[in-house]
Amino acid sequence: MLRDNLNLAFKNIRERLSRSILTLLGVAIGIMAIVSLIAIGEGMNVAVTEELSSLSDTILVNVGDGFSIFSIGSVKESGEYLTERDISDIERIPGVKEVTTQLTGKGILQYRNSNVSVTLTGMDSETMKLRYSSENLESGSLLQENDRNKIVIGAKIAHDYFDTEITVGERVKINGNKFIVAGIFEKQGIGGVISTDDIVLLLPRDFEEIIGEKNIYSATVTVYDINNVESIALEIERIINENHGEDDFASTTTVSSILKRIQRVLDIIQTVLVAIASIALVVASIGIMNTMLTSVMERTREIGIMKAIGATNKDVMIIFILEGMLLSIVGGVIGTLLGIFGSKGLIAALTSIVLSYNVDLQPVVSLISVVLAVGVSIIVGVLSSLYPAWKAAKMSPIEAVRYE
Amino acid sequence: MDITKVIVTKDLCKTYGSGPLRVEALKKVNLVVDKGDYISIIGPSGSGKSTLLNLIGCLDTPTSGKLYIEGIDVSTLKENQLAKIRRDKIGFIFQKYNLIPTLTAIENVALAMGFAGVERKKRIARAEELLELVGLSHRLHHKPSELSGGEQQRVAIARALANNPSIILGDEPTGNIDTSSGNIIMEILEDINKKGNTVIVVTHDPTIAKRAKRMIRIQDGVVREQHVEG
Repeated sequence: MLRDNLNLAFKNIRERLSRSILTLLGVAIGIMAIVSLIAIGEGMNVAVTEELSSLSDTILVNVGDGFSIFSIGSVKESGEYLTERDISDIERIPGVKEVTTQLTGKGILQYRNSNVSVTLTGMDSETMKLRYSSENLESGSLLQENDRNKIVIGAKIAHDYFDTEITVGERVKINGNKFIVAGIFEKQGIGGVISTDDIVLLLPRDFEEIIGEKNIYSATVTVYDINNVESIALEIERIINENHGEDDFASTTTVSSILKRIQRVLDIIQTVLVAIASIALVVASIGIMNTMLTSVMERTREIGIMKAIGATNKDVMIIFILEGMLLSIVGGVIGTLLGIFGSKGLIAALTSIVLSYNVDLQPVVSLISVVLAVGVSIIVGVLSSLYPAWKAAKMSPIEAVRYE
Repeated sequence: MDITKVIVTKDLCKTYGSGPLRVEALKKVNLVVDKGDYISIIGPSGSGKSTLLNLIGCLDTPTSGKLYIEGIDVSTLKENQLAKIRRDKIGFIFQKYNLIPTLTAIENVALAMGFAGVERKKRIARAEELLELVGLSHRLHHKPSELSGGEQQRVAIARALANNPSIILGDEPTGNIDTSSGNIIMEILEDINKKGNTVIVVTHDPTIAKRAKRMIRIQDGVVREQHVEG
């Protein structure tokens, strides 16, 4: 009987083809929105995870409140810094592979007789290579171990701080000492973990010469076993705070905890977007209900005939529910396909407009989201045709047969 | 209850509306129909003949009185139980054929069996057989819109016979078709009657009415047995 009911549903849909297509288009758009948004959300998640998971053995040690994803790269001038003793204590913790330090201090950058106050960041060439790649540069190169009096500067410093733009190879002065600009970071805008727009990067030796001391603002610690990251981070915090006799002198942040926080934010964004997209689906289900109600009206006589030749209320209901379901399933499948291809286009648009930072963003369509989309469309079909089907079923056969 | 009396009515009443708009379509109808009867019901329009047929066909429910179909008191049955009586015991033929327009002839006939849960292969085979019986084996896959009035009515007869009902009801089955096609329809119905089915036909055509074994006249909702001449 199912086959005959399907046949009947199919014939009725074909009989009212343009109306049916418009109805299932509504479902298709709703499902498309949901599928593509889930795919983009998953894609963002994967991109962020890939970006950061290579650093999952890394602990960032900062003076003060530490690293927050909302105050990226900002430097607080607490006046206090990590000491050589802190660093060697960290190196002695079992499981620690390597400790690199980042020096921070204020300096005056002079270019063609105008002065600008900048934050200087000192790190050795190894750390620099770990944190940045030459892909991040718009011109020039990162510093080599034997370089002297060379700096790498951020895009804002190069282009916005001075009346004339600074280019690679030009001379500037920092606190009176001569430096050559070896590289310029590209403009970062939104995205990326640590902002490089206002950075002045130099090697530790040069840093010490200008500032006169080693202001260790932060250290980057790598561990052997990723599973020990959290416990070693706690141990580092304890040791440093003990060294300085303060409860919250320094704080540590693991990259995996940053990752978790970013993922939580992405999850929230995705949930909100999908919720908004679901409105389209609600509208679509109203469309199905409308179409089915009209269909019931038009086929009053047909319903009467079916009841007269022995169809029970259940038989009639099944016929109409099946018809609504067929509409929404076809719509759902089309919507899923549109969503898969649409998300690719949307991502291309997103990356070219919003994200100037070079992230490899690919939509991720999981089997679960496809099953979910088709499942949701089936549910929508059944729910929205329940009332029309019930209306059809409760018709009195005699009135329905008499209906002209 | 004697099973040879396939239809029995006791003081069967049907009224429409209420208050001053109240219309008594049937007034205390008492009727006994034996198995294998061939009855025609005549009367002017609005006399209540279709109302009586719809009650017997379980399309409508009586206001008061009793109606027994093959011994079952259908006046107390629920909607779905009535549907099953319609499906298994009664074959209804309408003046306007009432075929499902989207389905072909064979699908229309098979649909009725589908509601009875007959398996697909058997349904198709029987539908083919029945259409052959009414002389439409060359029109199996035509839609109603591609058939003449007489042909459509023959499909309707095949559909009425689908679930092997003992009672065949016709509400002016020849009312919309020409005389020669109407004759074919009546011959088919008479053949069915000869095979043992009870046939009741509502008509206002006296020549068709006279072909029946019994003739019942309804006037103002009151039933009167009429002698069939010749």
